[in-house]
Amino acid sequence: MKKLLLLPAAFLFFSCEDVIDLEVKEGRQQLVVDAWLTDEVQEQHVTLTLSQPYFDQSKPQPALGAEVYVIREDSTRFRFTDTDNDGVYTYSPRNRNYLRLNQKVGLYIKYNSEEYYSISELKRVPTIDSLKYQSITLPIKPNDSPQSGFLAQFFATDFEGEGDTYLIRSYKNDVLRTRSGEYTLSYDGGLSPGSGSDGMLFLQPVRMGINTGLFEDRDKITVEMFSIPLDAYYFLYQVQAETNNGGIFATPPANIPSNVFNVNPKSAEKPVGLFLVSRVSRYTAYIDKNNLRPLD
Amino acid sequence: MRYILACFFVLFAVCSSFSQDTFTISGTVKDASDGEALIGVNVYAREQKVGVSTNVYGFYSITLPKGTHTLVISYLGYHRVEKVVELNANTPMNLELKEEGNLLDEVIVKAEREDHNVKSVEMSVNKVEMRTIKKMPALLGEIDVIRSIQFLPGVSSVGEGSSGFNVRGGAIDQNLVLLDEAPVYNSSHLMGFFSIFNPDVVKDVKLIKGGIPSVYGGRVSSILDVRMKEGNSKKMEFSGGIGTIFSRLTLEGPIVKEKGSFVVALRRSYIDLLAKPLLKDDLKGVKFYFYDFTAKANYKINDKNTVYLSGYFGRDLFGADFGFDWGNATTTFRWNHVFSNKLFLNTTLFYSNYDYSLDSDLKKENKEDVFRWNSNILNYSIKPDFTWYLNTRNTITFGGQSILYNFNPGSALVVSGGEGKNIGLNSKKALESAVYIGNEQKITDNVTINYGLRYSFYDYFGARLAYIFDETTPPGERKPLLDTVTYAGNQSISRYGYLEPRLAVNISLNRNTSLKIGYNRLAQYIHLLSNTTASSPLDVWTPSSNNIKPQLSDQLAIGVFRNFRDNMYESSVEVYYKTLQNQIDYIRNADLLLNPYVEGDLMYGKGRAYGAEFFVKKNKGSLNGWISYTLSRTERKVNGLNNNEWFLSRIDKMHNLSVVTIYDISKKWNIGATFTFMTGTPASFPTTKYIWQGVAIPHNYSDERNTYRIPASHRLDLSATKKNKHALFGRGESEWVFSVYNVYNRRNPFSVYVRQNPDDPSKTEAVRYSVFASVLPSITYNFKF
Repeated sequence: MKKLLLLPAAFLFFSCEDVIDLEVKEGRQQLVVDAWLTDEVQEQHVTLTLSQPYFDQSKPQPALGAEVYVIREDSTRFRFTDTDNDGVYTYSPRNRNYLRLNQKVGLYIKYNSEEYYSISELKRVPTIDSLKYQSITLPIKPNDSPQSGFLAQFFATDFEGEGDTYLIRSYKNDVLRTRSGEYTLSYDGGLSPGSGSDGMLFLQPVRMGINTGLFEDRDKITVEMFSIPLDAYYFLYQVQAETNNGGIFATPPANIPSNVFNVNPKSAEKPVGLFLVSRVSRYTAYIDKNNLRPLD
Repeated sequence: MRYILACFFVLFAVCSSFSQDTFTISGTVKDASDGEALIGVNVYAREQKVGVSTNVYGFYSITLPKGTHTLVISYLGYHRVEKVVELNANTPMNLELKEEGNLLDEVIVKAEREDHNVKSVEMSVNKVEMRTIKKMPALLGEIDVIRSIQFLPGVSSVGEGSSGFNVRGGAIDQNLVLLDEAPVYNSSHLMGFFSIFNPDVVKDVKLIKGGIPSVYGGRVSSILDVRMKEGNSKKMEFSGGIGTIFSRLTLEGPIVKEKGSFVVALRRSYIDLLAKPLLKDDLKGVKFYFYDFTAKANYKINDKNTVYLSGYFGRDLFGADFGFDWGNATTTFRWNHVFSNKLFLNTTLFYSNYDYSLDSDLKKENKEDVFRWNSNILNYSIKPDFTWYLNTRNTITFGGQSILYNFNPGSALVVSGGEGKNIGLNSKKALESAVYIGNEQKITDNVTINYGLRYSFYDYFGARLAYIFDETTPPGERKPLLDTVTYAGNQSISRYGYLEPRLAVNISLNRNTSLKIGYNRLAQYIHLLSNTTASSPLDVWTPSSNNIKPQLSDQLAIGVFRNFRDNMYESSVEVYYKTLQNQIDYIRNADLLLNPYVEGDLMYGKGRAYGAEFFVKKNKGSLNGWISYTLSRTERKVNGLNNNEWFLSRIDKMHNLSVVTIYDISKKWNIGATFTFMTGTPASFPTTKYIWQGVAIPHNYSDERNTYRIPASHRLDLSATKKNKHALFGRGESEWVFSVYNVYNRRNPFSVYVRQNPDDPSKTEAVRYSVFASVLPSITYNFKF
């Protein structure tokens, strides 16, 4: 909703942002769980690191020597190992669907004699039917994109039934857009739970969320849509809020609750981060200026 | 309740026993030049040492024993009038006062000066004269009522460019902003840069921060009572101006000479009109403007009856293909009826609406993909207010009010791929009513008290669903829905009622000094849901319900008021302590828009605010102005936030200093300067960060809120006004106003926040955000003929 306010807020042309020095209190190091698995036949990663002072610009310190397991509802365990000793624990599934649709998936981590667990669920994802684009000329040339080019949108339809949540992101010529504001979160095909768009074609702002700047002729666009469980939706929603929380409509900063817990709730060691499992659908297209979708 | 009423009658009985052979002088006091009724004029009977002041309609009534009296009628900035009256019957007396004009060409009459500050029972009240506001430097030259009151003690804002204002630790929705008695729900244009009040038609601005009399209610922090001009009843007048942002036109004049007058005023931003020829193709359809239209008329039917009709309509529009607009509309009808020279009745009927709408496609070209959304708060009210000038020692006010609310939290149409759905939330209805009585009683020559009681009651009713949430949810988490209950049309869902005692005491210590004590309890039944630093036009008002309890505040204020040098200087020191109950806060990720279960995302806590306010004002002479300093603290305690401990509210500002000076150099020139210094607002920063999928996520290990402060702000603004002999074609008068905002070009922080460097994601940094980061000069031309 914050985006809606950008339009009149553009009137804030007197405003400015300066990078300043800031001294903050230090906190304790915490285990960071970065575990986003898919049910695809490709190497899966669970990255374990340690949190660091906010203005410490060094690379995060890996959490080494952990035991990492992913556990299916039927108690099948998959061991993730850190062969490179860099805190990235990997597992290569031998066949597709080592994770099962609509089933819960557990994560177990033992690190420094503390035990941690998390539970996620593999949810359904709709297929992306098509990708269309139209040519556009912007009134002013943006800094990092051409003035004339193409805006793309993907087409997919949300499943009937409330509560399907997705993450959509795009690649331009195989380069992934990685900033927190560059993926689109969708709730039932709309932007947020209130949009009432259950079972409809994904709403236009979601469909067009795959653009940053403009695409050019012969660009390769790949769109990825991940099913994500509701806790991950709220986690990522808050990531977008907390990492772009400036300006006059900022919300009070708040910690993002993790879905990874210490087995011993009384332990002082509390992990941060998120574990989730996703199904993915993908669609790739090349911009061809001779094959334009007519403008609406 | 019965007991309290009984007390009132006993008091009245005591007072009435004083009355002997007395008569009443009553009437209205107006400005001699344009016939505007004057508010707050002192009418003082010198021999009896008693006085009254005119009410908001210019009416006064004073009862004196038979005999000869000298009435002194004085009003700041006007020539004092003395009348010797031989009183042997009830006497009507309408008066007109002449403005002093430029002080330089007058011999200042040395006599009793305005000492309202010390003598009145009112405390925690600030009035800024419109002529002062007009001489103060203004942002981009646009004179602004709400920005000007932020120079007063106890008033602040979360930062430059934010909407609304905070009074003694209160949130912006805790101020009752009244425009000719009708509440205004969003007092800003352009998100908060300018207030909606057209300065050309504002007559009087009064801010009540404490000791709030029983006639007012409905908000827990303050009352901002804005009164519009009635219009020149003597001659037609056309005035206007061209500023940096707005151009303004006002027409006023008599309807029937001396019987009635009207005023209509239009103000519109015009940057879009200037830009239009420069916009090409895709930008041709771009809309960005805001305007307001204000109109008022009054007609004096006879000596006993006067009617007033006033209206306001304002709108902000922004959009290209996408559109967003919002605005207020109010209409007020008032009827003044003088039953007798002692009993005055004003009955107000008003309508007020605030709404906004969003449209994904203004041109309506794309039928395949549409998103249209609107929301509003609408209310109708009736409000009779009686003033009974019982005798010189007692002025009794009583009356009531009923407000019928209709809230539309959001209704929307979504079309995707040609398939449409109406979504949105059912409207909510509530009725808020109140009865009140108060008496301003002069107990001895040195002690005056104003005591009152207001009983407010509230009904939230159907037809709609009421939601029951799981209240055992850990605080700070979203409360899941347990049950819904269906209520039929007009069936009550929840009811609340509160007794709100009010008290103000003035103890005169000597001729120039008084001690004042004020206490008030206030209840507030409607709430603005807003979780952003500055409120946005999208924020939705919501009623108290089975889940949301009304807000309550109790405030005690004590002050010493002293005037110096024959009332040339007035000064005051006030301390206050305020507690607030049922304050709304929000869970993280709270979804406040188009969310039927929004009540499950709210948390409730309490607040406290205390502080000291120092104020010195120079009223007379070619150099005048004031210095105001506030030392204060505002805190909150909410289960689920900050480890359930008290924390600084985000509107807390420890030091707040304002200096306002206006200097009349000559008949032609005057200059104004304002300076402010304010402690930075509290802020929360992370202790640590962690990397998740390449994103640096801030984290506060001890989960504490508002333990830091952003750097302090200070700013100097200057203005100069040059009066010209004539406006266009050698007629009328005109002036040029030159102003410079942020003279020494300081980048005052609105906020400081942390982020990942947009170009180098491996780096994290702190950013200072400034809203007005440069010197802003402007020129305005005003005319009148």
